[in-house]
Amino acid sequence: MNAGFRSQVAAVVERDLRRERRRGDVVWVTIPFGAMALFLLPLAIGVDTQLLQRIGPGMYWVVVMLFGVLVSVGRASIETGAQRDAVSLLGLDPAAAYVGRSMSAAGLLLVYEIVVGVVAVVLYNIEVIGFPWLVLTLVITAVGLGLLGSLAASLVSSSSAGSALVPLLVAPLSVPLLLGATQVYEGLRLGRSILPWMLLMVVVMLVTAIVGVGTARPLQET
Amino acid sequence: MPSEIRSRSWPWVAIGVSVAVALSLAIVSPADTVQGELVRIMYVHVPAAWLAYLAFTVTLVGSGGYLVTRRLSWDRVAASSAEIGVYFTGLAIGLGMIWAKPTWGVWWTWDARLTLTAVMFFVYVGYLALRNTADDSRVRAGRSAVLGILGAALIPLVHFSVVWWRTLHQPASLLRPDGPAIEDPLILWALLAGVVAFTVIYVALMVKRIELHQVADSIRDFERSADRPVAGASVTAPQLGGGLGDE
Amino acid sequence: MSFVIELHDIGVDAGSMSILRGVDLEVGPGEILGLFGPNGAGKTTLLRLVATLVRPSAGTGSVLGTDLSSQQRYAIRRRIGMIGHVPGLYPELTLGENLEFAARVAGVSRDEVGSALAAVGLAGVIDREAGVSSHGMQRRAEFARELMIDRDLLLLDEPHSALDQDAVELVNALVKKIAAEGGAVILVSHDRERVARIADRTVELTEGTLE
Repeated sequence: MNAGFRSQVAAVVERDLRRERRRGDVVWVTIPFGAMALFLLPLAIGVDTQLLQRIGPGMYWVVVMLFGVLVSVGRASIETGAQRDAVSLLGLDPAAAYVGRSMSAAGLLLVYEIVVGVVAVVLYNIEVIGFPWLVLTLVITAVGLGLLGSLAASLVSSSSAGSALVPLLVAPLSVPLLLGATQVYEGLRLGRSILPWMLLMVVVMLVTAIVGVGTARPLQET
Repeated sequence: MPSEIRSRSWPWVAIGVSVAVALSLAIVSPADTVQGELVRIMYVHVPAAWLAYLAFTVTLVGSGGYLVTRRLSWDRVAASSAEIGVYFTGLAIGLGMIWAKPTWGVWWTWDARLTLTAVMFFVYVGYLALRNTADDSRVRAGRSAVLGILGAALIPLVHFSVVWWRTLHQPASLLRPDGPAIEDPLILWALLAGVVAFTVIYVALMVKRIELHQVADSIRDFERSADRPVAGASVTAPQLGGGLGDE
Repeated sequence: MSFVIELHDIGVDAGSMSILRGVDLEVGPGEILGLFGPNGAGKTTLLRLVATLVRPSAGTGSVLGTDLSSQQRYAIRRRIGMIGHVPGLYPELTLGENLEFAARVAGVSRDEVGSALAAVGLAGVIDREAGVSSHGMQRRAEFARELMIDRDLLLLDEPHSALDQDAVELVNALVKKIAAEGGAVILVSHDRERVARIADRTVELTEGTLE
């Protein structure tokens, strides 16, 4: 008998995180790259402290969305043809593979968000407010981006244009997440309601998950 | 054969008639009291934007149809419609910018509908780019169908987000519950004629594009049935003595 | 249950080339089939087709009672073992972790990992990363995976390459065990003598067609 869905998901998450730990792409490539982007922006825009404080949160989220996608196309997420064949013949449910990949990507994205967030707070003198809501926003965007990135990565797998295409596919579709995340911060700052934005981000997350899980099997079958 | 000529020429006749009607209405209709002559750009801009929505909806239907039936004809519908949709989205954005410069004083404003259209444009540019990456027609069909569905599922959410984010644009002019807000009926008729003409053009382009896909596929099938090369045939036994050993 | 593998007039295309055409093949329970053929004849593609990993472009076929074009193919994959000529292990993971992952996904107890690796003589290198293990060690680890998971169909591409004499005996024992339990085995090889010794029947694949 095949293993249950949940234990297959757990096995995939463990595999991905182990591979990432040994490769170290997120720690040594994605995070430094994101930090570097935050460092470069003031050089181009100017070093007016008040201006940077105002645009800082937005810049942070743009950097999270644009470069965070790279987590899903890192070397640890790429499988060779022989590896894909071997995994398929273990009876891995494609839906479990998708959920597992998204979860490990979300975990790595959360780490990326936190480290790059600290860099943003330091460089731009951003005020950290509304702590529990901020944490929730970080988690929701990490999961949403993980789901989108894993789905896009599975669409381009084994094609040569592969990893270059993933950010193009993900960026326009992550607009609601970007707007949600930035508007939650604005809402917290100005004391406005943030509930609609939270709800919108959760719906984006759910819709992506439904499409990803629902199409995982047909996609594998092509 | 007259019947064949008739069946082959109907798209041209339909395009000719509808474009002639739309064009004459667009020319004879009066200048708008507020926008002046610039309103005439709307006669192309609004129908092009309408086609974008129509085309991407058809792409969604084609994508779903392929995943359910696994027939490549559905994939041809989805792909053809996305190509036409990207073209007309680009046209709508370009014309919108030309209209905006004299009207608002800028090429681009960050209003909700503009932003949404731009996002849609990029989603389907990505869709066409994805189609470019796979060689195998079934792999390509499956993958682009998933993206076609994901894009269509998320675009309403993009819409909500940008509407909440900013609502500067005039409210939708035609589809309002209390009836159209445009005062001169001729302007309204010109807009409607434009929508009809563009829809006819869309249908004709779809028919032609799908035909082209079919021809390409049947050429491939013909090559397969005839002397299609077998991959292994190009590997021959090594020629002993030729280059190896004795020089 | 009549045949384990049943192929009728199967063709497989890739781009503008045919890789297989008009392939008919029937393999019954308990049968060990040797498959020979020159480089590029389509042997690997035929194995991947039988493993349900390649879709036929023409013809019909079934494996373990499931149609090759069925949407439910992934459900029988757990019963099909395949060792290709390129190792399918993750180079970043140790040999033990690779097998542990396979066990968890396939629903086999983790305790089996140790004994399977011991059976192929790798108990001492369980913590070595696959990427720094030799080709022969990686192949042995893949055989350990096939030992651990109960397979009804085993597909081996050049099973004896990169293996020393002891390991070859081990592979032959695994092949005979699966056949004895009513499964089927296909051995692709250039080593006709060695395969002829354990195969019940041999076929020749030339330019995408079986002879």
